Amino acid sequence: MIIAERKPLNEIMDMLKGVSRLLVLGCRGCVAICSAGGDKEVEILASAIRLGCKKQGMGMEIDTDTYIRQCDPEYIEPLKERGRQYDAVLSMACGVGVNFIADLCPGVRVLPGLNTSFYGANLSSGEWKEMCAGCGACVLHLTGGLCPVARCAKRLSNGPCGGSVGGRCEIDPNVSCVWFAIHSKMQQMNRADDLMEIMPIRDWRTAGHGGPRSRRREDLLS
Amino acid sequence: MTEKSNLEHILTSGQFAVTGELGPPKNGDMEVVRRKARILKGHVDAVNITDCQTAIVRMSSLTAGLIALSEGVEPVMQMTCRDRNRIAIQAEALGAEALGIKNLLCLTGDHQKFGNHPQAKGVFDMDSIQLLTMMRQMRDERRFQCGEEIKGPAPDFFLGAAANPFADPFEFRPRRLAKKVAAGARFIQTQIIYNVEKFARFMEMVRDLGLHEKVYILAGITPPKSLGMARYMKNYVPGLDVTDEVIQRMRDARDQRAEGIQIAVDIIQQVREIPGVKGVHIMAIEWEEAVPEIVKLAGLGPRPEPKGVEPRLVSQQAIELAVSQAGEQAKASIEQGLEQVKKELQVSTELLAKEKDRAAQRVAALEKELQEAREMVAEKKSETAMLVAELNEAKNLLKNAASALAAAPVQVQALNPAAAAGVALSGQEAALTSREQMALNALKQGLAALRKAMNLTEDQFEAIKQFLEAQFVLYLGAPMGIQAGQIPVQPVSTAVMPAQPVADVGATGRSPLQQGQVTASIATEKVEAAVSPVKPVTEPVSKPAAAVVTGAEGMPPCPEGLTQEEWRNKWLIRLIAKANVCLQRGDASGAKAFFEQVLALDAQNARAKAGLERIAAGLVPTPSAPTSEALKEAARPVAEVEQPKAEPKPAPEPVKEVKPEAPVQKSEEKAAVVAAPAVQAASQPLPKEQVSLAERCGQVSKDLFMEPCSASVRPVTIGDGPKAITVGGASTLPFHLFEGEMPYAPKVAYDVLDVQPDEWPDVLSRHYSDVFSDPARWAQKCVKEYGAEAICLSLVSTDPNGMNRPASEAVKTVTSVLNAVDCPLVLWGCGNAEKDTETLREVTSHLGNRRVCIAPLTDANYRSLGATALGMNLPVVAATPIDVNLAKQLNILLENLGLPLENVLMDPSIGAVGYGMEYTYSVIERIRLAALTQQDAKLAVPFICNIGREVWKAKETKIASSDSLGDQERRGILMEAITASALLLAGGDLLIMRHPKAIEMTNVLVQAMM
Repeated sequence: MIIAERKPLNEIMDMLKGVSRLLVLGCRGCVAICSAGGDKEVEILASAIRLGCKKQGMGMEIDTDTYIRQCDPEYIEPLKERGRQYDAVLSMACGVGVNFIADLCPGVRVLPGLNTSFYGANLSSGEWKEMCAGCGACVLHLTGGLCPVARCAKRLSNGPCGGSVGGRCEIDPNVSCVWFAIHSKMQQMNRADDLMEIMPIRDWRTAGHGGPRSRRREDLLS
Repeated sequence: MTEKSNLEHILTSGQFAVTGELGPPKNGDMEVVRRKARILKGHVDAVNITDCQTAIVRMSSLTAGLIALSEGVEPVMQMTCRDRNRIAIQAEALGAEALGIKNLLCLTGDHQKFGNHPQAKGVFDMDSIQLLTMMRQMRDERRFQCGEEIKGPAPDFFLGAAANPFADPFEFRPRRLAKKVAAGARFIQTQIIYNVEKFARFMEMVRDLGLHEKVYILAGITPPKSLGMARYMKNYVPGLDVTDEVIQRMRDARDQRAEGIQIAVDIIQQVREIPGVKGVHIMAIEWEEAVPEIVKLAGLGPRPEPKGVEPRLVSQQAIELAVSQAGEQAKASIEQGLEQVKKELQVSTELLAKEKDRAAQRVAALEKELQEAREMVAEKKSETAMLVAELNEAKNLLKNAASALAAAPVQVQALNPAAAAGVALSGQEAALTSREQMALNALKQGLAALRKAMNLTEDQFEAIKQFLEAQFVLYLGAPMGIQAGQIPVQPVSTAVMPAQPVADVGATGRSPLQQGQVTASIATEKVEAAVSPVKPVTEPVSKPAAAVVTGAEGMPPCPEGLTQEEWRNKWLIRLIAKANVCLQRGDASGAKAFFEQVLALDAQNARAKAGLERIAAGLVPTPSAPTSEALKEAARPVAEVEQPKAEPKPAPEPVKEVKPEAPVQKSEEKAAVVAAPAVQAASQPLPKEQVSLAERCGQVSKDLFMEPCSASVRPVTIGDGPKAITVGGASTLPFHLFEGEMPYAPKVAYDVLDVQPDEWPDVLSRHYSDVFSDPARWAQKCVKEYGAEAICLSLVSTDPNGMNRPASEAVKTVTSVLNAVDCPLVLWGCGNAEKDTETLREVTSHLGNRRVCIAPLTDANYRSLGATALGMNLPVVAATPIDVNLAKQLNILLENLGLPLENVLMDPSIGAVGYGMEYTYSVIERIRLAALTQQDAKLAVPFICNIGREVWKAKETKIASSDSLGDQERRGILMEAITASALLLAGGDLLIMRHPKAIEMTNVLVQAMM
């Protein structure tokens, strides 16, 4: 799931300077699940902006809405027309939603309400952690299912480095050393010897270093 | 295939390797790298050049490695994956190969979070193991990482990697090492080892995997520099296992640095015993000086002569290119200078011709005089011979008369009642017989001729004359004196002898210094020779004199024709003459005996009393001293005349007087010899050069040796009232008093700490240990006991990394010191910019009108402290890292702030002798030259040099006395005094020092040079 968090209110208020009609637009996808941009968060943000306007003596008309997803064209189709009624649309989807609206809805000024953080999992209520970097070349079968690209501070392919102490990463004792975990996991599975294989130098093109990524599936293309 | 690296050669030949580490500077100063390389050179086989270690921006490892290589030190270039992707890494590798780097240590690199740019994007295109495979592929397969062929020379490195035996999971560590070996590592440098036992277990596992046969393992060693460093490594460096034992040893150590070195040596000796360890990698972090000692103490030195360490950049072609470029540049300036030189040459040629003529005239005149003198001497000799014949005749007559009258001694004595004072003959001459008078006159004339011939001064001549006259009167006037009639002639003939050495010197000696020495020593010999032949004569003479003694007063009976009173006076004069002769020869006891005889006869005799006083005061001249001095003086003009004659060619060159140097140094050393056992003994003032340079340079024109400066340094006053001191103000380079003025002598301030120092060696602290507990009493002791003219109160206890005492306590200390002493005070903060701002601001409001100097102002706190100083009108110290431009910049900033430079002293950062002092010297000198000769007003500010602090932290001051290194205290004193004397010559105006003896020596030196 994509994990995101709301931008600081001051930053949002700065973006909204000169806006007198605003649509705060939520998304019921990932951001709703990580409690960053769902219906509830949309209302909270809208109230906060109203208060902020009051405080700054700004007059602003604010509407709210939440779409099923902002990353599928059929869901944002209505915005093409509706969006023009507003000076700005504040999207509370991840960066994908903001981009998609900007791409598909000419004449609509879309603003980001969230910072898109990472691909992560919900450890417990209110706690998320990065688990995948979307590098496009998964090696999890070699590492006991634990990702060294997303979860090692130096993205080591052949860890652990000399800074691994007591299962903790050298950069921060609150961060666990994924290579220590990989080693333990492989030992448990009696596969520690697999780690003696030198993992070759990676091809980072699939991780976005080869330019913007896209994907086409001929069988599904209409 | 390029030649093996030295490290590879050492390891493959089975020798135990020693590598060091060199951290490049956080600036673009090549000198730092060179200095560190020079420290390590010869003590290690290769040196790791770190690649922005702990992710702090530094000079790149390739560049610093090349600089080290140019110093003849083989670099092990470190390459991390943090800052470069595969494109950059391979590019660096090609460059390194091209420029002669042969070792590469492949590392992943410390995470950027630890450095000074935690916001940076970490590249980590690959990890250290993948880097090894890439470098091996480039070398063995001659292919880039992408697979493309490398056409032409490919990087051919001796590849290494790091291993940390103390990281987790422990059991995987040897296996990860195996991966590195498999990826191409040929040598391994381990993490710093303190836990030898754990390392031994690691090595056991390494051996179990057979890796010790495949890779050379170098054990990582780091001497802890202080307890604080050991604690920091234990608590804050992940993957470092500092044992409690090490912490304890550092805590218990009296000298933490020495203990740190010993710990390193102990660990080296333990790891050497572990099978599979093929060398050590010594990482003395920012403490390169420790490495030579560790290597020596561990018995690893001297290192084999390095092989194949050659900088490629300095190729013959490069040199030729540089030479041709420089040649073209130089050509223009040479042509320009040529015209100038031509003009100068013409002037000198004219001058030379004039000098030549003058010299020739003088020589001719002197030769003429000499000829006349010779003739006169010959004439006088024949006259003397005639007189002697007459005397003999008279003697015979007397003999006849004596036999007739049968009253021998009385008659004989009646003939020669001559007596004279050794010092002044005038007035006594009436007592001589007319014949003796004639003989004496003849002698005087002869002497006068001699004086003219030898060009003696009045004084010298007088000395010789008095001596001879005394001899003459004495022997001629003795009871058996007629036999000694030859004697007056004899001294004359020997005294002429110095003409011989003079000629010798004229032929051999060239520099005035040599001449002086040679002449003096030769003259001494000759004078001794001149004195000694007289000796055997004196004894028989004085014996009969004693034998004749009869009367109760020890006086021979009065001869006929004289009253008792007259005879007594004559006898007294004779005794005094004898005594003076003894004095001249240096025979104090003999002289004393004669003087006492005089006093027995005449208790009121002033001459005898004065003579005895002189003896008692030890003013008796040594046998050679006064005479040799006179002869030396006599010799000089002749020698000077001879020189132009022998070498008429060279243009009159300014004679730079080296002369005062030698005696100064000598007596300083002597003082130091005395210093160690009895430090309280006062140093003797050094002899001053009395003759001005202009006089010493004789005819040489002043503009040839003088380069007067066109500006002057600002004077800065510290303190208030009569004890205030002013430094600076010079309008000339230090002590060039012949060119300009130094209105204020350099001063020394005694360093007083606000807390008991724990790192001072005993030989220093013993002078202050009774007052360590109270800075006020300490300062008082410096003033009262040692005569301190100024005090520097170092607020070391306020250091946040140390005791971190609050500003309020510093205020108490400062006020107590201010109340205790009334001399000028420098307040030196702990060096932490933030804390110093806090402390010094607080303190300044309690200073009253004392004009205390506050220090150090750096670029980090000059605004706040400068404003405070401006408000209170206090002098300040502008402290900068050792660099001309930084020093100037800070002065400009202070001036922009409104602070007048009349209130600023510069601390350009100094090093003790042996610790980069040459760098200090040249920076100070450059700043002073800019101020004086280029009128750079921003730099025309006096220097303050905190010498004591630098000297007494050097290990040379801490190593105990031993046969090879000598007395510890004397060593420390000399180190401090020599550092001080060198910095004085560079331009130091106010020195902060510690050892009372070193300060005393420095003050003596300053007095002698002013």
